[in-house]
Amino acid sequence: MAKGLDELAERSAVGRDWYVTSKLAALALCSLGILLLATLLQVSFGAYPLTLGEAWATVFDPAILLNGDVWHAFLLGGDTPEWFTRRQLVVWNIRLPRILVGVLVGANLAVSGAIFQIVTRNELASPYILGVSDGAGLVVLLTLTAFSGLLPLLPVLAAAGGGAAFLLVYVIAWKNGTSPVRLVLAGVVVGTVFGSVQRALFFFIDNLGVVMSAQTWLSGSLLGTDWAQVRIALPFTVLAMLLAFAVTRELDVLLLGEETAESLGMPVEKVRFAVAGIAILSTAAAIAVAGLVGFVGLIVPHMVRNIVGSDSRRLLAGCLFLGPTLLVGADVGARLALSPIQLPVGIITGLVGGPYFLYLMRKKEKLGEV
Amino acid sequence: MAGDHRSRKSGTDDRTDDATPDRSPPTTAVRGTDLVVAYGDTSDPVIDGESIDIPTDEVTALIGPNGSGKSTLLKGLAHRLEPDRGTVLLDGRAVDSFGTKALARKLGLLSQENVAPEGISVADLVERGRYPHCGFFDSLSDTDHAAVDDAIRLAGIDHLRERDVGSLSGGQEQLVWIAMALAQDTDVVLLDEPTTFLDPHHQLEVMQIVETLRDESDTTVVLVLHDIGQAARYADHVVALKDGAVYARGPPESIVTPALLADVFEIEATVVETEHGPRIVPLDPIHDDST
Repeated sequence: MAKGLDELAERSAVGRDWYVTSKLAALALCSLGILLLATLLQVSFGAYPLTLGEAWATVFDPAILLNGDVWHAFLLGGDTPEWFTRRQLVVWNIRLPRILVGVLVGANLAVSGAIFQIVTRNELASPYILGVSDGAGLVVLLTLTAFSGLLPLLPVLAAAGGGAAFLLVYVIAWKNGTSPVRLVLAGVVVGTVFGSVQRALFFFIDNLGVVMSAQTWLSGSLLGTDWAQVRIALPFTVLAMLLAFAVTRELDVLLLGEETAESLGMPVEKVRFAVAGIAILSTAAAIAVAGLVGFVGLIVPHMVRNIVGSDSRRLLAGCLFLGPTLLVGADVGARLALSPIQLPVGIITGLVGGPYFLYLMRKKEKLGEV
Repeated sequence: MAGDHRSRKSGTDDRTDDATPDRSPPTTAVRGTDLVVAYGDTSDPVIDGESIDIPTDEVTALIGPNGSGKSTLLKGLAHRLEPDRGTVLLDGRAVDSFGTKALARKLGLLSQENVAPEGISVADLVERGRYPHCGFFDSLSDTDHAAVDDAIRLAGIDHLRERDVGSLSGGQEQLVWIAMALAQDTDVVLLDEPTTFLDPHHQLEVMQIVETLRDESDTTVVLVLHDIGQAARYADHVVALKDGAVYARGPPESIVTPALLADVFEIEATVVETEHGPRIVPLDPIHDDST
């Protein structure tokens, strides 16, 4: 009897596991499908139009996909092969890298958003909650106004500015240790001050072009990204993702709250700082190539959690698929909706994100705690 | 969780006449000496220079009014609050000489209030208790799974295993948290007010788990209780605290007396001896001006 019950329990355990895993698989498949569709749309439309069939044939052209030299040129820098046709050039040198950057940015923002929601135990947290966006934004404005000689280094400087702001937030929040609430409040402090300085700097710009590029940066845009941006973001993205998936058990325990985590023998302060550092690395990689794209890091972890639950490994895996899909999908709208004018992708993600939260607010009674 | 099944008198919970029937004299599992514990650097110490011995493989109950320092003492013993002065020895070794995970393999503390993450199953939550036993890159071993199964069985929540924790009642959820602490598989378990806010049925469930722990897995249990009657009935030792000081300690019969209740809890009460141990009938609060 007892044995029968045990077997039953085991089978139902396997059943639940299978059920949740299949939901994750379905999420991943749907995401990939939509991503593929968005890619084909993005590749075929534009000033040099292609049919969907031509787009498909060019994207999945084995002569390029399986050519080591071409990838060497793309990923390590170098000249595009001379034998490229005009169509291949447009697809592979202009439209596809923009999609790839979108994939990297989406994955980074979604995963780091998920981590920050766990660290702060607040599902309204985003990758920018600990001052990163304001630090990066301030540095961008400073570079554009005062130190225009450093313009080529802008991506790196912005990422560094974000990281510095994060450290400053930690210093402010620290008093015999930190807590999620103290961290969030310190983030507000730093954000308010940096944001004010940043807005003040706008008044020192007398060139409309510079104002435009600053605005594009602050809204987050994939305009003009190419393989150089892929080369900047890819290594940091891979590193951040590997680290993030290595600490999923720590994330699971951190989610139980400080007291319980400490009872289970976790050095909470160290782990929290390390985990936040991983998320900052990830965010910085995204900021460096796309500026401050909003809402992706907020809503993607949210949607994934609603589908697969709060198990960290599944949550991060889901974010890894849904984040790129949402960002690339939004970029299709940003690039094509008002063609020939291209909007920053951050405007589209905001337009999508707002109503999603409205829907959530109406549907759920308890909103806030993870 | 295997261990010698101690042959306690079976079929009765009457321990009032003979609290330790066939045991060798108790050794000390946790010993706190001259402890001064405060929250933060600046505030006045809540516990000021107290010593306490927790006997091995027995149930010790901490009782006392609100603000008497029960939880603080518990946190001091678990090294969750670093004492300003004094030492805590666990099995004769200073607690601060353990690594955090090593300490968590020997001593577990279940806090007063716990909030479960959204969308987590009972089995998954209990599994988190294995954290101190896992290396950074290890996945759960057979030992871990066995410990989780044991904890779930001991807490009597087998039937809830696959349920979402968010869908449980408060009493059931408390049993799940206790199961998580049990999965930690420690020699010493500290429970901070495990029965407060529970209905009588779940209070008794919790206290039975505590008894089973002591009797069948040789675990030292320390618990903070608000219900003096429960302390009297289930504990081998009772420590009464007042204003951050140990007011009295000893077996329940000698602690739970009208005089102590008047001094420590400021209540007028009669204590009736029953076959289930001393029973407290609170009558009136004693006001300062009338004492």
